[in-house]
Amino acid sequence: MASQLAFKSRIASTESLAKIFNAQEMIASSHIAKARKVALDAKPYSDAISDAVQALVAHTHITHPIFKGEPGNPRVAVLALTSDRGMAGAYTSSIIRETEGLLARLDGEGKQPVLYVYGRRGVTYYKYRSRQIADTWEGDTDKPGAEVAEKISKALLEAYMKPADQGGVSELYIVFTEFVNMVVQKVRVLRMLPVELVETEQQSENETAPLYSFEPSTEEVLDAVLPKYIQSRIHECLLTSAASETACRQNAMHTATDNARNLIADLTRKLNSSRQASITQELTEIIGSAEALNKKEE
Amino acid sequence: MAAEKTTMQVTIVASDRPVWSGTATSVTVPASEGGMGILPNHEPVLVVVNSGRVVVVETDGSRHGFDVEDGFVAFDSNKLTVAVEHCSDETAVTAE
Repeated sequence: MASQLAFKSRIASTESLAKIFNAQEMIASSHIAKARKVALDAKPYSDAISDAVQALVAHTHITHPIFKGEPGNPRVAVLALTSDRGMAGAYTSSIIRETEGLLARLDGEGKQPVLYVYGRRGVTYYKYRSRQIADTWEGDTDKPGAEVAEKISKALLEAYMKPADQGGVSELYIVFTEFVNMVVQKVRVLRMLPVELVETEQQSENETAPLYSFEPSTEEVLDAVLPKYIQSRIHECLLTSAASETACRQNAMHTATDNARNLIADLTRKLNSSRQASITQELTEIIGSAEALNKKEE
Repeated sequence: MAAEKTTMQVTIVASDRPVWSGTATSVTVPASEGGMGILPNHEPVLVVVNSGRVVVVETDGSRHGFDVEDGFVAFDSNKLTVAVEHCSDETAVTAE
């Protein structure tokens, strides 16, 4: 049995770890509230853009490259949204597993996936395995601002708009984690580009409705609004991923705190029994030697 | 014209937060091809906005100014939506 001193030092170190986990858990739960607020604040803007796109779809006969890719181009972009920091349980590893699956599937379809990664953990994972990455972004995965979304969507749209012979891509997939609730987060794959037109019933009803006028021109409005639509969709993905990351971290830290407490209870029990054993041994020794002395005297 | 017809709902949203919403009697927006005034019951319109200043005149005559950048303005069924990338907080409007 290990010495009491060893038990004591293990208990002390586990206690300080438990304190750290507990603090991390509390930080994560305070971030959740913030993440929810950011998502709520961004909602009116994305709603406004969706409405505008709906109006565009309903009132014009759109022929814009965003709605139809280049059929002959086998290159497709895959964007994986991972986290900057660890301590979030299986958050990044499940994203990477899903991404690997998607890449294999695209390969099987005869496409050439081009990888884009957001989040330091994902970047180091792929860099360590010397995979080719087209572009990476890092920072603020747990509270992504509009600026990051702008940077990412700009790079991806640029790649999408380029013709095939200049390294352009014909499709865009996003692997992200959807925030369902505090306990459930789902990894999802979304095909973002080309945008699929949803022909609503409204459209046929609106045939006779007064036509929207577009200023300066329909094309220019399309060119201005559609990239923003993509950007706001990407931003939405970033925000739901950020909320998921924080929730994952909170859950992981909660489990870690519980485990540490169990470990401490276990170690304390062992420490007590080892102390008891040594006391018992000492007693037996004293009694044994006393009896030996008594016998001598007789 | 009936009194309730001379106002419109205005919502100004930036990409990271809602900025302002309320009822207004007229709005001036910096369209990409020059300033554009929008009154209630305008025809449905979708206008590209580069950068400039949105001025909202409320029903009580008070004016609100917002410096906006890069976005669009949509007007439909008497509702005006200004959706922009960046928007300053409300700034004082000086008489022009």
